[in-house]
Amino acid sequence: MDDNKKAAAKLILTRFMAYVFVFFFCALCIFFFYLLFISASKTNFQLQGKFSFLPGSNFITNFKNAIDDTMINIPVGMMNSFIVASISAILTTYFSALTAYATYVYDFKLKKYVTTFIIAVMMIPPQVSAAGFVQLAFKYNLTNKLWMLIVPSIAAPAVYFYMKQYLEATLQIEMVEAARIDGSSEFAIFNRIVLPIMKPAVAVQMIFSFVASWNNFFMPGLLLTKAEKKTVPIMISQLRSADFAKFDLGKMYMLILLAILPVMVVYLFLSKFIIKGVTSGSVKG
Amino acid sequence: MRGKNNRKSVSYAKWGYIFIIPFFVVYAIFTLYPQILTFYNSFFENYREGLTQIGPNFVGFDNYIKLFTTSTDGMIDIVKYFSNTMIMWIIGALPQFAIALLLALIFTSTRLKLKGQGFAKTVIYMPNLIMASAFSMLFFSLFSTVGPINQILLANGILDKAVDFIAFKVPARLLVALMNFLMWFGNTTIVLMAGIMGIDESLFESARIDGASSGHVFKDITLPLLRPILVYAAITSLIGGLQMFDVPQVLSKGIGMPNRTTFTVVMLLNNYLSGSKNYGMAGAVSVILFIITGILSIIVFKVLQKKED
Amino acid sequence: MAKVQLKNIKKVYPLRDDQKKNKKSDTSQKKSNLEITKDGVVAVQEFSIDIKDKEFIVLVGPSGCGKSTTLRMIAGLEDITDGELYIDDVLVNSVEPKDRDIAMVFQSYALYPHMSVYDNIAYSLKLKHLPKDEIDRKVKEAAEILDITDYLNRKPKNLSGGQRQRVAIGRAIVRNPKVLLMDEPLSNLDAKLRNQMRAEIIKLRKKIDTTFVYVTHDQIEAMTLGDRIVVMKDGYIQQIGTPQEVFNHPANLFVAGFIGTPRMNIFEGQLIKEGNTYSVLVDGHKVELSEDKAQRMLSHNVESQDVYVGVRPEHLYSLLNSEDGIACKVDVCELMGSDIHVHATEPTGKDTIVIVPTHGKDITFESGSIMHVTFSGNIVHVFSKENRKNLEY
Repeated sequence: MDDNKKAAAKLILTRFMAYVFVFFFCALCIFFFYLLFISASKTNFQLQGKFSFLPGSNFITNFKNAIDDTMINIPVGMMNSFIVASISAILTTYFSALTAYATYVYDFKLKKYVTTFIIAVMMIPPQVSAAGFVQLAFKYNLTNKLWMLIVPSIAAPAVYFYMKQYLEATLQIEMVEAARIDGSSEFAIFNRIVLPIMKPAVAVQMIFSFVASWNNFFMPGLLLTKAEKKTVPIMISQLRSADFAKFDLGKMYMLILLAILPVMVVYLFLSKFIIKGVTSGSVKG
Repeated sequence: MRGKNNRKSVSYAKWGYIFIIPFFVVYAIFTLYPQILTFYNSFFENYREGLTQIGPNFVGFDNYIKLFTTSTDGMIDIVKYFSNTMIMWIIGALPQFAIALLLALIFTSTRLKLKGQGFAKTVIYMPNLIMASAFSMLFFSLFSTVGPINQILLANGILDKAVDFIAFKVPARLLVALMNFLMWFGNTTIVLMAGIMGIDESLFESARIDGASSGHVFKDITLPLLRPILVYAAITSLIGGLQMFDVPQVLSKGIGMPNRTTFTVVMLLNNYLSGSKNYGMAGAVSVILFIITGILSIIVFKVLQKKED
Repeated sequence: MAKVQLKNIKKVYPLRDDQKKNKKSDTSQKKSNLEITKDGVVAVQEFSIDIKDKEFIVLVGPSGCGKSTTLRMIAGLEDITDGELYIDDVLVNSVEPKDRDIAMVFQSYALYPHMSVYDNIAYSLKLKHLPKDEIDRKVKEAAEILDITDYLNRKPKNLSGGQRQRVAIGRAIVRNPKVLLMDEPLSNLDAKLRNQMRAEIIKLRKKIDTTFVYVTHDQIEAMTLGDRIVVMKDGYIQQIGTPQEVFNHPANLFVAGFIGTPRMNIFEGQLIKEGNTYSVLVDGHKVELSEDKAQRMLSHNVESQDVYVGVRPEHLYSLLNSEDGIACKVDVCELMGSDIHVHATEPTGKDTIVIVPTHGKDITFESGSIMHVTFSGNIVHVFSKENRKNLEY
């Protein structure tokens, strides 16, 4: 009886400590976003003065000022980012799924080499091709072209790998054969039978590639030099050079908030789904 | 034998080729060719000085030799930047893995049965999706001399006067590591959780019935079975760490201040490409990055193969 | 509604490079006895059959015998290495599956998970661009036949195994195909449902006029469903015949053992020819063969020789109170209702099963006791020891 009580008390204590531990790290994550949020709602004056954990009164004014800023045209930047990220997301998932499907369903001589090749190049950092890419872009006058950031996403080895794993786990070859006997063309089988079956994987990868592309800084930073072509990360990095003595800090926090907001909104709606995607990708990976 | 005529049979192999064409054409033009060009360039002198273009002239391994030449402060630049990168990675990755492992154990524990797990996972994964450059800009503002952190510390009397954190080597590196930690520990938690949940539940149960304490279950069952995933996660994190760029670039205004102690390998590459268009030196840096990543990737491959056996 | 002809069909799977290397070294590990040539593994060879219009043909054999490969060649899912395939006298070797006017039911059902039952069944008709009302009529007709009208709006994942099976069949019959191919359609169902669906398929056959080719590894399915059965092993046809022919006149030792449960008992013995009569000698026990069997053997000039003697368990009977007959040591008795299955060991050490009808009496056999069994000369099967073929044919 005594032992039982002791064990029960110990469990309660362990559970309490676990809660504290988890709570601490959740709080840490939220803390910085909270600071960002309240700072984006304060006036420059409030920000320079005594610190307060309460939100300020200037949220809407800061928002207007951020949108109207002449040096950093954030609406244009967000538009550019959105164009690049959304088209890239569609292209990368569609063509990776198509390639994965081809190497899963069809038997052709080079299949083994194709698969091995894609997996072998998967780990090569994108920066390794950067020098050559930039050189070609400048040589052929292709800087400041958004499509130069979009088209390469058709070939995404990591997305291919994820799709291939997903197909191996979910698609029975018999499904394809049934469609063939039903009279489907090979292209229609992929578009109308296989793609719908792959919907969960396609959606997860679309979100991840959208986010990766939205946040991408390295390559756009090298290629986009004209103000009207710049994407959000480049504009945000420009803030770093602003003179803090003259710059409205409220507006600056608001610009940062705008940069991360679209992804955050999507995340709040789809967090369960996204976390499931991370989980499935990792077990198989 | 019959059937030696030209009768074609039903074969779908051609569709396999047709469907992979877009992927490979794009890969060849936008990735493979630039990669080859990068490697090729590393053997040439090819840069701009003001308005004059130097090269391209073939110089053999000169670019590599230059990269490994001791500079004025008695250090080899590339080695210095490489160790900067690794130091900042390791300061972030050690707590990242330790805390992620603990959190994963807490979340998967059938004894603790913690409530609100879904919310907690949502919150800790969130920073992973944040734009790194914006995150870094936020940290710069928060930790600047006029930022809220200084204000809080001053108000509580912890500091006498505002400190410019990024002006000092240790706090600057710590800040980069902290951001990397915050951005990645949630992701690692979820990956490790998936790994733990992939272990057959009956193994834990039978160990417990055999008389193992929670500590023993962790040491004898969880850890050994989780090792492949841990190693995999650690090495992919290392490969990601090697590519560290956005955070220190923005935090240090691209110059790796103070005194280039937060300057990373990819920042060097970026420097060569953005200013002087020094394709020769950029190529040499890329080749070195490629070789290091290649070695690490082979280790990942080996680990994955072992997992499959 | 079509006849199907297969003429000397052959299928060779090319070896992969890694298999080529191991070709010689690991013959011991090889699971099947498929022939391996320089071109690859021969999965099916010398396969010829004329399938009549509206006939129900069952391909049966152990796994790896080439039955599914043959079916898939008829479907057009596998290319034919050699030989000719005719559907209604038209050579279709290179015709794509969709143009062969065939339908197929898969073992895993292969229902499209994102489509409703209705859309699954209608899919092939939509691809043919039939008018909407005609599609609707045909789908409902098929649903009616299979009794799945109530589920038409459901998704496959919300159906039970038996319902999925019906949908899969519905998808196949809705197009009124020339040939309906079925690849182990019942093997994913539990025993009770399997029996039920087997009966349904027999009924279905009466409702729809078409040619069936059915693949199974289950000889009971083969016996109950087929007009004719094709027994296959290691890529070769062993025997083609009606269920009765295959059961009563197995062409060789393999067919004899494969068809019928419990398995046929095989004894080693001698065939003795004395003038125009033949008899078999097993364990010193001699039984004369019936006249019709002797006639057939005579016509093939069969001489005295060592043979395998096959007797089905239900054709062995025990001689109570007699020392004559084959002496078997009783191991286990199983009461199966009206019969007792006696598991015993015959003199050379092989397992033997004897089925003894009880006729309502309490009959028991002590474990360890010796029972003497014999058989009559008209239901015994005699196989050459040399090539294992039935000596009557």
